[in-house]
Amino acid sequence: MNKFMTTFRHTYLSKVKAKSFIITTIIVMLLIILAGNFDKIMNLFDGSEEVGTIEVEASETFTAQFQAVMSEISDDIDVVDSGGDITLTVEETVPLSATVESDNEVNTAQQTEIEMALDAVNRQMVIESLDLSEEEANLMAAGITIDYDTGAAVTDADTGEIIEIEEPNYLNVVIFYITVFVMFFIVINYASQIGTEIAMEKSSRVIEMIVSSVSPVNHLFAKILAIICVSLTQLFFFVVTIIAVLYLVDIGSLISEFGLEANDRTVPMVVYSLIFLLLGLVLYLSVSALLGSFVSRMEDLQQALLPVTMMSLGGMYLGMFNLFDPGNLLVRITSYFPFFTPFVMPLRVLDPATSHLTVWTGILVILITIAVAVYFAARIYKGSILSTDQGIIKNIKKFNKGE
Amino acid sequence: MSLILSDLTKRFGDFTAVDTINIEVPAGSMYGFLGGNGAGKTTTFRMLLGLLAPTAGEITYKGEKIGYEMTDSIGYLPEERGLHPKLRVDEQIQYLARLKGMKKHEIDEKLEFWLEEFEVPENKHKKIEKLSKGNQQKIQLIASIIHEPELIILDEPFSGLDPVNVEILKKAVKNLNHNGATILFSTHRMDHVEELCEELCILNKGTQVVSGNIDDIKADFGQKELIIEGRHDISFLKDFPGVIEMKTNRNKNVIRISEERYAEDIYNEIIKLGYFKRFQVNEPSLNDIFIAKVGRQYE
Repeated sequence: MNKFMTTFRHTYLSKVKAKSFIITTIIVMLLIILAGNFDKIMNLFDGSEEVGTIEVEASETFTAQFQAVMSEISDDIDVVDSGGDITLTVEETVPLSATVESDNEVNTAQQTEIEMALDAVNRQMVIESLDLSEEEANLMAAGITIDYDTGAAVTDADTGEIIEIEEPNYLNVVIFYITVFVMFFIVINYASQIGTEIAMEKSSRVIEMIVSSVSPVNHLFAKILAIICVSLTQLFFFVVTIIAVLYLVDIGSLISEFGLEANDRTVPMVVYSLIFLLLGLVLYLSVSALLGSFVSRMEDLQQALLPVTMMSLGGMYLGMFNLFDPGNLLVRITSYFPFFTPFVMPLRVLDPATSHLTVWTGILVILITIAVAVYFAARIYKGSILSTDQGIIKNIKKFNKGE
Repeated sequence: MSLILSDLTKRFGDFTAVDTINIEVPAGSMYGFLGGNGAGKTTTFRMLLGLLAPTAGEITYKGEKIGYEMTDSIGYLPEERGLHPKLRVDEQIQYLARLKGMKKHEIDEKLEFWLEEFEVPENKHKKIEKLSKGNQQKIQLIASIIHEPELIILDEPFSGLDPVNVEILKKAVKNLNHNGATILFSTHRMDHVEELCEELCILNKGTQVVSGNIDDIKADFGQKELIIEGRHDISFLKDFPGVIEMKTNRNKNVIRISEERYAEDIYNEIIKLGYFKRFQVNEPSLNDIFIAKVGRQYE
């Protein structure tokens, strides 16, 4: 155990003290802080000014009509006779045309408000010019109703009523997004690191000295655990930054602006996301260690790690593309494929129809795969450390025979 | 006996790398493994350390099988040299020595001592990749002996070094042995074995040609080399009893005789001819033994 700790300490400290680790951690922490201050930064670049008053150059009847509509639509903009922030010149044709003159740019939200007011007045003018009755006018404005009564519609089994598909909860979606991105980022980054660690020791031959002191399996596990802990250390810094941003920066407005509000699935979502994040890291890093032990030369490493890259990329895209349809068949099937489970299963947690049993089955699938990967990694690593054979397939065949 | 290899065999598929080797290494001895490329030296060492599983046979050290519980008392310098290229010398030694169960301050002291001993104290804080090959080899040797192991296994410790450094290393190895360590080392250089070892084993293509105490081997071998220098014609000795081979180069004659007792007969015969500048009986060289046993010149 002492030797395990020696290798663990050595690997962990050398990775955490590395410049690359410190720099990437700081960059991501800065990005998180920037994201937390998103609205302030946007305001910084927003040259437009708030319009408080508007001066209308048109007939009195039009001005009165416009004023009435405007006060309904916006609380901020008052119609004044002279000296307004902006000047609105209207030609009272049907449809009407208008010109807005201002010193500064009008921001998009207020532009929309002005347009809406003009549109309302315009509609009124059209109705008058066509001499339509109120009923006829209402008919024109009325929306259509369509019912999609297809076989695939989700119906309640007992009542046969069509259940409305709920709008996803955006806070949960954001949690999912963050989980998947962080997992992908760490997997891609650390898979190559653990592969490099193992292949480097083999190609530099220092491994023969090491395994004359400590058993190969002990050494391998210490390395895997150390790298996982390095990745968790980095994750810890990210989470601390996120929490700090939540407390220090008033992002309440930012959250409500995006309509992010917690619901009853938020807590399980956070818990399961964390579980899958951890399991995903352990799974992918164990597999990377397994693949790293196949190669004898550093040049072959990227090639050997290709499956990890492809799988994590595939898992991430599966999650992203099915974000608003977490119950579809593809998601249901791939959520049980061990390498996609960490990415896809949190997506299914978003769906209220997914039972806890399903999620736990996913967790079990990953745990079994990790056990298998670790078993083979240990077996193959033991046989491969003294080999200088090139060619990945040849190595796999040979080591698995236990030669 | 400290280390015993009995009927040790290793096969890789159809290829037999080591074929039924039987060796006994006495505690505190300096034991040489002599053999050319592919003789099976490295494979034997790897089996000794448990890095390779023997196909057949057994290895015991002090009556027990070698396992990871006793690696702290074993030092190993592999033939394939390599250290972590990105680490500094002190970091590398700290790591490898801790794996042998040493403490930090202990390692620091010993490292200083050995760097002085090997005349490279300035390398302590340098990165391994910045060192020359010979200096890397010294660092690696330090890593394999810093924990003062009882049993030291050195695979080709002197290869790739210049003569000055070979002498420094030889001195260190002799000192270690003098302080009580059992040392096993392999080499393809006969002169190193003759100079350093009391015991040896000659391997040829995986088989054991001869093994044991060098003096005993030479005595048992029987054959001696006789050098006679003088102006008289002694070509008649060619057909003399006990003479195996005779080479004449101007006034110098080198005669191989099957047993020492024939030397006396020859001496008595030639002094009848008159004055000889030189009459010398030499022990057989390892090379002679190798040729006699294997039937071809040592590489």
